[in-house]
Amino acid sequence: MPSASDHRRSDRPASAQPPDGTEQRSPHGTAPSSDAGSARRTDPPVRVLVVDDHPLWRDGVRADIEADGRARVVAEASDTDTAISAALRERPDLVLIDLNMPGLPGTTAIRRISDQLPDTRLLVLSASAAEPDVLEAVKAGASGYLLKSATGAELTRAVQQVASGEPVFSASLAALLLGEFRRVAAGGDHDEQQLSDRETEVLKHVARGYAYQEIADRLVISVRTVQNHVQSILRKLQLNSRYELMRYAIHRGMDREDD
Amino acid sequence: MRRFERRSWLPTRLREQLDQRGRGDARASAGLAPALLSGPALLASGVLAIRWALIVWMAILAVSGASALPPPEVRVVVWLLVVAVAAAHTAWRPGWSPLLLLVDLVVAVLVAVTGVRYPAFATVYPAMTALHWGAALGVGGGSIAGGLIGVVLFVARLQPSAIPQPPGFGVTVRAGADVVNLVLAGGGLGYVATLLRRSASSVRAAQDAELRARERAARLTERESLGRQIHDSVLQVLAMVHKRGRELGELDTVPATQVTQLAELAAAQERTLRALILRVPDEPAVDDRQVSLRTALEDAAAQVGGEVDIEVAAVGESSLPVHQVEQIRAAVEQALRNVVQHAQATRAWVFVDDEDTAVVVSVRDDGRGFVYDESQLRADGKYGLLRSICGRITELGGSTHVDTAPGRGTELQMRVPRPDDDTSAERSERAVRE
Repeated sequence: MPSASDHRRSDRPASAQPPDGTEQRSPHGTAPSSDAGSARRTDPPVRVLVVDDHPLWRDGVRADIEADGRARVVAEASDTDTAISAALRERPDLVLIDLNMPGLPGTTAIRRISDQLPDTRLLVLSASAAEPDVLEAVKAGASGYLLKSATGAELTRAVQQVASGEPVFSASLAALLLGEFRRVAAGGDHDEQQLSDRETEVLKHVARGYAYQEIADRLVISVRTVQNHVQSILRKLQLNSRYELMRYAIHRGMDREDD
Repeated sequence: MRRFERRSWLPTRLREQLDQRGRGDARASAGLAPALLSGPALLASGVLAIRWALIVWMAILAVSGASALPPPEVRVVVWLLVVAVAAAHTAWRPGWSPLLLLVDLVVAVLVAVTGVRYPAFATVYPAMTALHWGAALGVGGGSIAGGLIGVVLFVARLQPSAIPQPPGFGVTVRAGADVVNLVLAGGGLGYVATLLRRSASSVRAAQDAELRARERAARLTERESLGRQIHDSVLQVLAMVHKRGRELGELDTVPATQVTQLAELAAAQERTLRALILRVPDEPAVDDRQVSLRTALEDAAAQVGGEVDIEVAAVGESSLPVHQVEQIRAAVEQALRNVVQHAQATRAWVFVDDEDTAVVVSVRDDGRGFVYDESQLRADGKYGLLRSICGRITELGGSTHVDTAPGRGTELQMRVPRPDDDTSAERSERAVRE
């Protein structure tokens, strides 16, 4: 299940945590340290656009992420077109978006928004984990994927993580990305970005379930380096996706990217 | 099979046709298709057999020194050429090459011209060539070859050195009769060859249509069975969750455990449904002998359940023979139960990866880990479980590796080599279809 951190148990009281406080078993991409965390609390709240065609879900999400005051829902939308125009108007820090909505597919909205607002992050929220959708969404510009069955705490954590620029990679997503990059490598197109050996190592570790700190320990590098690798992987993936689209458009004899 | 691509002096379409013909006949007579489909190749083999018999006869004639034949040196050379051509044809079976056919034609003309007086040389041997051209190239090829040789023969027969006086009408007609014979022979056999080829391709088309129809039927059955499974399990549980949820909503105090149970029920069905959906491909079904390892492991994880949250991450479907998948699935299920019962973990991950020669499965948990000391484990009576997991994998010719330490969780890596006949080409083809 490609959820960022589907662990009900890790919300246990502190006594259940291991003595080594720096190892957090939770999300892949842990909040770097408590110092940065408290600094963020004094930052202005993250401005969020919520896109979902079920009003109940939107209310639930709003309640969850506004609970600790670190995020604020500035706009809502219930279909793709409204989502795009709301994003362009409000310029949120983060867009929470469901893929299955009336109108144009969610991935189109993701691509449009990430094209035109490069500083806005996107996080997909969905009921089903249909894998082609996951991959397409991330390729189109989403920084990660969260199941709707995630708890409120998981949601807020993911929101903060993505807003600060870090992807939310689950093990399943990492495995999907491995498959995708292998497909690219087998295609033999030298213009397409390929993963470096180090990046493949990191991605495989994420797929096997290691947290960033654990990966850093195993590969004898810093957590910051691991995070950089992950961000680089995402960037390469999204670059390749654009490149493929362009090539497709040119091949079809059109000179504008198709919708 | 010689390729025609490099023969740039041939027009493209002719090149492609020749290439296809050569390959088609070869494949047909290699026994990959019913006897009907190897028609043209069978014809050519028959012609070749007669050709060899004729060679023996020609040798006898040449040795017996018939007076009208050319001098012995010429005879030997010509005979050797003939043997060489026949040997080349035999070696090239079941295909044929245009260069060889041309050489054959030239040698046949040579034989006809040097042995113009003897039917064995003048007409029977060249007829073999014409027949061969017919079998290989159809009506057109056979007729052309026969006609060419016939015309050369005609001209040779009417040479002043062959007949003392200018030929009368009757002599001319008799001399020209063989042109007709040769053309008929080559063209006739060529026509038969063309007919055989055409019926072969229509049989193949019918077989393909039949195969597609069977696949479609299989897919429909799969869809039906899927519908049944969903009805039997998921819908029932959904209805129960609905009912139970309503009941709980009417209570004054809602016991937390019951709510958690409901959530677990729903989660389990969510997993099952997802696995069911992901398993139905829209493309033609994967080979019957192979099943998806990923689906099997997702099932196993769904069945283990319990307090530990298990996530299955697979790079692809990882199709393997059924018995291998069963063993790996059993091993992973045991490992997961082990985690749930002993590891005091909150989460576990199953990772399935496809390497070129092997499938790699890793089961990892964030539990308390242990000291992997075999003798100590055996003394504590805890070795058995680990051994049965590793045992299953080694039975498949694979290897296991345990990476653990107290406080660091545990990772169990299993590596199972793919069966030898499963080439990476086949696998990538399957992967594209999946």
